Amino acid sequence: MTAPNLAASTAGAEPPAIDVRQLTAGFHRHPVLRDVALTVQPGERVALLGPNGAGKTTLLRTLATLQQPLRGTVQVFDTDIVRHRREARRMIGYLGHTPHVIGHLTTRENLDFLASIYGIASPEARTSEVLEIVGLSRVERRTARELSRGQLQRLALAAATLHTPRVLLLDEPNAALDRDGARLLSGMLGSLCPGAAIIVSTHDHCVATEICERRATVDAGRLTQEAPRDQAARPSQPQPPSAVHLPFFNSSWAILRKDALVEWRAREQGPPLLAFTLLMAILFDIAFVSPAATDTPSVAAGVAWATLLLAASLSGVRLFGSERDQDTMTRLRLAPIDQSAVFLAKYALLALHVLIVGIVQLAVLSVLLDLQLLQWGVLATLGLVTMSLSAITAMQSALVLNSRAREVLMPLLAVPLAIPVMLAGIGATLETLQGSWVPGAAPWLGLLAVTAAVFLSLALLLYPQAIET
Amino acid sequence: MGLMDFPERHRPIGRPPVFGWRGLVAYTALLALMSAALYLIFIFAPAERVQGDVQRLLYGHVSTAWLAFLSFGIVGISGIIFLWNKDTRWDSLAVAAAEIGVVFTTVTLVTGSIWGRSIWNAWWAWDPRLTTTIVLWFIYVAYLILRTYIDDISVRRRVAAIFGVFGFVDVPIVWFSVQWWRSLHPVQTITQAGGGMPREMLATLLMTLVAFTVFFFIVLRQRYLLERASEEGDDLRAAVHRQLDVSVAAADTSVPEGRT
Repeated sequence: MTAPNLAASTAGAEPPAIDVRQLTAGFHRHPVLRDVALTVQPGERVALLGPNGAGKTTLLRTLATLQQPLRGTVQVFDTDIVRHRREARRMIGYLGHTPHVIGHLTTRENLDFLASIYGIASPEARTSEVLEIVGLSRVERRTARELSRGQLQRLALAAATLHTPRVLLLDEPNAALDRDGARLLSGMLGSLCPGAAIIVSTHDHCVATEICERRATVDAGRLTQEAPRDQAARPSQPQPPSAVHLPFFNSSWAILRKDALVEWRAREQGPPLLAFTLLMAILFDIAFVSPAATDTPSVAAGVAWATLLLAASLSGVRLFGSERDQDTMTRLRLAPIDQSAVFLAKYALLALHVLIVGIVQLAVLSVLLDLQLLQWGVLATLGLVTMSLSAITAMQSALVLNSRAREVLMPLLAVPLAIPVMLAGIGATLETLQGSWVPGAAPWLGLLAVTAAVFLSLALLLYPQAIET
Repeated sequence: MGLMDFPERHRPIGRPPVFGWRGLVAYTALLALMSAALYLIFIFAPAERVQGDVQRLLYGHVSTAWLAFLSFGIVGISGIIFLWNKDTRWDSLAVAAAEIGVVFTTVTLVTGSIWGRSIWNAWWAWDPRLTTTIVLWFIYVAYLILRTYIDDISVRRRVAAIFGVFGFVDVPIVWFSVQWWRSLHPVQTITQAGGGMPREMLATLLMTLVAFTVFFFIVLRQRYLLERASEEGDDLRAAVHRQLDVSVAAADTSVPEGRT
């Protein structure tokens, strides 16, 4: 690991907490900031002022690794935030315009989840401490949906500082706080992450004076900063960040557990999917079987796997879509985890949904068509079809995340890619029902296994690129 | 300020080959090749004994089919290279290839269908080649639609490239699955010309392949240059807007008490 930050600090003068050089950032064709330079020393607090649309948010999002710089470099304690992104993310805390918290989890569960993906050493103690500081201990068992706007903002602040970042970026943090907000905030920051370098963007000059010792102004894409005032007076004892690099599967597991809990509370997917499954079974039964049923096994196989594909596509839209609706994707992207681990967790969740739908569908069709569908050969096919379909649809879900009309696009992308899976699923099922599992269905199952493996590895490889913005 | 803020690529991009001596050579060659191919197809090549004149469709059909597959290969490989080095020229090439590929696939499907109607007495059959081709058609139509649904251009490029790679990887899987599907459930097999093609037919086919391939690469180049020009136009327009914004902002600051 090339992380020179700790070595450098002991060798001589401590490196600046934030070192921005010739930064051009924003969107392709619309650079919001141009040639920005900014240096913030450890422990220093800088107010970022400027009119609307000047580029304050772009600067903070770029520093927080949410947006790629178009040109120039940003270093946090000598760590380049583009090249060593995960290392940098360990040290950075970011509070954006929206709280990025999960509505169906309680205040404490939100923080517990973050503690788990940041790999914080003693999560219980730290969570309690942070809740105490931001004054949310009384409502720690309330879900985030039930919190007031001001309480949400405090929770967001707690979430941004949970891992004791050495660099804290706050985008208009006082927006929803009480009248006393500025002083309160100043106090909280001191206890939440003592010694951290902080950049606060604000319109409020009181906040600027109350919290910060220095000002920088962004206007029309250029930045001017005041000279540092008092070099000696600064407390330069930043705590080491408590986040560690979490192993791949641990992060996946933490996210999957969170998603399962949210689904259990919200019941957003389960009931509609089950209803959809039953409706499909009945609909196709009416359409194909009565009164002149000729080839019931074919109908059963076709209906079962087509329903599964539609269900996967329906459920898949929500997979990343629900994160996007609550803007909690940002929280996952800020975490110092391998982003592919996020994909793996979502994949597992989708596969679980599809598997349940599949079992119900097979059971219902067995009754309606008087076939023995719940047998090992068909169940093995179900497992492999589920794995391939989930890999395809989960990835398409990530791809349509930033598109318009996601719901319409989803089947358009997923269905053509999934046609071989359908053919193999139907082929294997028919062979099994005709009693030749080993010679007949085996090649189909092999093809399904290969498809699942190819698409899953491709998706894990390309997912981090799919969610960049 | 001023012109410094405009994109660096302000010189006109390469001229389309319709102008200049290279264009003259390219188009003359194309004209000659196409005329030769048409002559061979309709006059030189003998009529097939069983199928009759309808068989002449297959010369163009085979050529467009090969080029359709080639263009989807180009989409997939450009996507991989783009994801690797982020050079936007590969993305432009992918768009060009995808569009032309969809057109060639459509022509392939239509000519195949007309041929099938007179030989098999059916417009469509679930033969492996047909099935693979129609699935490909859907994948690349989806690719083109996906592009138009994403507003942020850098996201659009990346997402399209990833989908292109998925489509590319799917092709052999589709091929194997439909192949087995048919072999397990034989319904109808194509009557193989069998026993080797007469030399005249083979020559005609090769000539048509060459002519269509040259045509393909000329159109691909044109479409690619069009894509680059259109991107450059967007760059310039954005630069002009930026200039206007800057002037407006400058005018704003001259007003006292402009902001708090």
